[in-house]
Amino acid sequence: MVENKHQWKAWIYLSPAIVLLLVFTVWPIINTLIMAFSENYSSLAGIGGQTFQFGIGNFEKVIQYKGFVTCLKNTMLLCVLTVPLSTILALLISVCLNAIKPFQKLLQTIYFLPYVTNSIAIGMVFAAMFNIVGNISSEEQIITTAGIINNFLGIFGVEPINWINAGSSYWANITVMVVYIVWNALPFKILILLGGLQSVNKQYYDAAKIDSTPKWRVLTKITVPLLSPMIAYVVITGFIGGFKEYSSIVGIFDVTMGPAGDAGRLNTMVGYIYDSIKNQQGRASAAALILFGIIFIVTMINLYVSKKKTHF
Amino acid sequence: MKKILVALLLVATLLLGCVSMAGCGDNNQEKFELGEGATYDGSEVELTFYHTMGANLRTVLDKYITKFNELYPNIKITHSQVGSYDDVRDKIATELTVGNQPNIAYCYPDHVALYNLAGAVVTLDELISSKAEVKRADGTTETLGFTDAQIDDFIDAYYQEGKEFEGGKMHTLPLSKSTEVLYYNKTFFDKHGLKVPTTWDEMEAVCKKILEIDPDCIPLGYDSEANWFITMTEQLKTPYTSATGDRFLFDTKENQAFVKRFAEWHKKGYVTTEEIYGSYTSGLFTNQKAGEARSYMCIGSSAGASYQRPTKDANGKYPFDVGITTIPQADASNKKVISQGPSLCIFNGTEQEVLASFLFVKYLTTNIEFQAEFSMTSGYVPVIESVADHPVYSQFIKNANGGDNITALSAKTCLEQKDAYFVSPAFNGSSEARDQVGQLLQYCMVQYKTAKDVDAMIDKAFKDAVAECEYMS
Amino acid sequence: MSNNSTLQVMQERDMHKVVVGQKIMKVVSQFFLYLFLFAVAFVILFPFYWMLISSVKTLDEYMLAIPTLFPKNFDFVNYVEAFNTANLGRLFGNTVFVGVVSTILSLVITVLSAFAFARLEFKGKNAMFAALLATMMIPGELFTITNYKTVNDFGWLNLEQYGFTVLIVPFLVSVFYIYLLKQNFMQIPNELYLAAKVDGTSDLKYLWKVMIPLALPTLISITILKMMGSWNTYMWPNLVADSEKYWLVTNGLRKFSAVDEGGQVDIPVQMAAVAIVSAPLFMVFLFLRKYIMKGVSRSGIKG
Repeated sequence: MVENKHQWKAWIYLSPAIVLLLVFTVWPIINTLIMAFSENYSSLAGIGGQTFQFGIGNFEKVIQYKGFVTCLKNTMLLCVLTVPLSTILALLISVCLNAIKPFQKLLQTIYFLPYVTNSIAIGMVFAAMFNIVGNISSEEQIITTAGIINNFLGIFGVEPINWINAGSSYWANITVMVVYIVWNALPFKILILLGGLQSVNKQYYDAAKIDSTPKWRVLTKITVPLLSPMIAYVVITGFIGGFKEYSSIVGIFDVTMGPAGDAGRLNTMVGYIYDSIKNQQGRASAAALILFGIIFIVTMINLYVSKKKTHF
Repeated sequence: MKKILVALLLVATLLLGCVSMAGCGDNNQEKFELGEGATYDGSEVELTFYHTMGANLRTVLDKYITKFNELYPNIKITHSQVGSYDDVRDKIATELTVGNQPNIAYCYPDHVALYNLAGAVVTLDELISSKAEVKRADGTTETLGFTDAQIDDFIDAYYQEGKEFEGGKMHTLPLSKSTEVLYYNKTFFDKHGLKVPTTWDEMEAVCKKILEIDPDCIPLGYDSEANWFITMTEQLKTPYTSATGDRFLFDTKENQAFVKRFAEWHKKGYVTTEEIYGSYTSGLFTNQKAGEARSYMCIGSSAGASYQRPTKDANGKYPFDVGITTIPQADASNKKVISQGPSLCIFNGTEQEVLASFLFVKYLTTNIEFQAEFSMTSGYVPVIESVADHPVYSQFIKNANGGDNITALSAKTCLEQKDAYFVSPAFNGSSEARDQVGQLLQYCMVQYKTAKDVDAMIDKAFKDAVAECEYMS
Repeated sequence: MSNNSTLQVMQERDMHKVVVGQKIMKVVSQFFLYLFLFAVAFVILFPFYWMLISSVKTLDEYMLAIPTLFPKNFDFVNYVEAFNTANLGRLFGNTVFVGVVSTILSLVITVLSAFAFARLEFKGKNAMFAALLATMMIPGELFTITNYKTVNDFGWLNLEQYGFTVLIVPFLVSVFYIYLLKQNFMQIPNELYLAAKVDGTSDLKYLWKVMIPLALPTLISITILKMMGSWNTYMWPNLVADSEKYWLVTNGLRKFSAVDEGGQVDIPVQMAAVAIVSAPLFMVFLFLRKYIMKGVSRSGIKG
């Protein structure tokens, strides 16, 4: 009896979320499915009276795209590089921030500032820092400025590196993207992990203090395990978001998704979806479903691992 | 628990039940047809107008809406700045799905091609030729359509732009226009006795000379690779795109040849573009800092003239005088410059809405006062020739110079080359073609220095660009 | 249970260790701690600084090839221009209303759902949760057209009649936050809940008296993020709120001077606008921050 009553309660608690999700999320997803399986679907052409046949042509089109492998590779690569890096950094920062008394408020306030910073500003400052202004692909190179980063590296005798401009190498581009994405992801992760740390019962720490346990052990043996649900959260949502990487690349490289003279080199899955969404919604939907398949598998693996590792 | 499962299943089947309906054209656009002898009857109509105007231009627009309402008090016009051109396009494309589109909008040709997938844009031919009479509030009447004099008054190339669509019907009317012009450092040119280039051959020679005078410069900056490519195909009369049949025709020997030529220019350090340089070419042109690169020529939008003017020095003087002229040509008997800037299109609606919209669009495009004031505020050029006789506007043009009145100088240059304007055909995929040829030229310029086999590299770039266009459209 | 035993093992093992020179170590480690934190702070601060200096630059200075790190002269004209928007008061009013209502409703939905997932047992829980997560995996841009059709069918596009409904309701549920709070709730030992059950405390009372205070830092974080969302959202309001009466701050500011007549985006003015808009949010954060940093130890709950 008790068991049954609970069942009802759970569904009642969930009902507002479920109803809204059905209308504003599930229904659009069903529509996405329909569009994906309607050959060459375009909503405007549909209004114009065109009809679309059921079929898997959209999926074929997506896979046949010559940039498809590039999109897939970039998406995966950025995800695999940035999620662990940003998580570990955010964890370190949160733990350190939690351990200090003076300046704690000030630092926390500063870490929050990206939220009130315009995202255009963030992208532009980054691009400007790495940007070489000049004619570097002509015979006689003319460089107006090598950018703040190169000037800084120059102090240590490093030759200017072509990070993001015409003729730059793929790995230079990826390096900039990784730094930028990690930087962008930090504030949110710090906020979440710091919140999580506050929920960790202080008594565990007090116990460790009495025992004068070394800091490192406290971190790995107490903090990380107790914080593991939040870390799992940050990693899983990080991967889900990472697979949808797009706007950060636009922030640095603009909608051409690549350095000058090599458009599309850094294109991603969502970049492809954006290109198609204007009047090739069929293809965009098919690509979204392919992306969904990938994220779903990765998330399931993540959940499986975190179930095993999560402390609770 | 079971009950809930059943309920959920029910919901799911209901949703799936709608599946067959969803996605398909559930909101068919009723294609507008003008009734025989139909005319605006003075009834109350509310119109919406989407545009991208900044605050200054909106003030001008408001002023003339008030004047328009003196003639037609029952036509209420709500206008709103939706954002950028892309924002306007995206908003309308979404609104069309439920039939919520505005009555009038700022548009580029490829936007119209997109809306036309839904059959949403009213073709204007019958409205333009209509002889029906419309009563105004002040007791006078006007003909609904255009008079011959009004049609003649339009700068012909601008007027013809409205027909660059499949089927050749009139879809848009021009509101205000811009083009590309050559800005040059007049002070520098005069000092060294250089001749301002009028052909690409002369351009090559001048660049060479300038580099000899100032080895640390990049003689020419070109804003937009896409414009450069498309303009060259027009000047050389080589294929670019077509609205019918095979669409992407730009992979030809002649086109490969000019791409190779300009790529070589880049290698020699004659020319750069905004993307390749990594900063605004106008900034390169106006740069006065010692020891930093600068350019002495810049090809960019005529509407951006104020950015091509250097900042005043400590004495309140401009460090150099800017000259503005037509861009170089390939063939003096076939002068071509690109035409850009917003046109207006009208969307399906009730008959009275469409008629009222047409009256308003006609008012904006043919009213000399409005055209003059709008042009002077925006830096664009008017679309009708009679504006040149407008006292204030003619004074504005008369005062043109390369300093404080640079906007007027730019407008003057545009007006002088009104016979050279062209637009490319607009169809679904035309904006993709534009993007691709721009990237193609940029790619070849960047790769030229390092490529082993230049011709093979260029040939492959052309083939790839055509393939990408065909895939994306 | 398991964590208690781990802790005991650890305590026993470490009980015997005496660290010599602990104080010196502490000073050194503190130094590096602060060095690290301030270095990160500097890096994070830079874009914000950039936004502020850009907002006082003229467009000419902004467009220089070598950006100036300190503006040549402070040109507050951008702020004046941004401030001169006809109805800044109304824009703020609308945004605050939409922000507060969305946040409150969203918090209620989030708390209830997270509680169900974290503490209640029901059939299909895992499947349901997986389904919820799955909805996050499809790019939301694909939902726009369908949702636009839906709100049109509901008649919500008639804002005169339905007010801000169309700006609030479609975005009330965020799986992102439900998941976050669920994880936070799971940090709270289950024993507390079982004890409460024995005492006969109702679920809701337990939720209100125990779970919410314990999860307060996370709830505050969610509040801030949700508020930020209302403050920054642009696409949807631009699509559905046609009348100036219903514009939010971002719409108003973007519409007023994002693009100048030559087609050049006037970024300095945009930055000034963002700075003005962000100021109240920043205040809200300063006010709420102390709740994020308030530990559980003070809330008087014994583990």
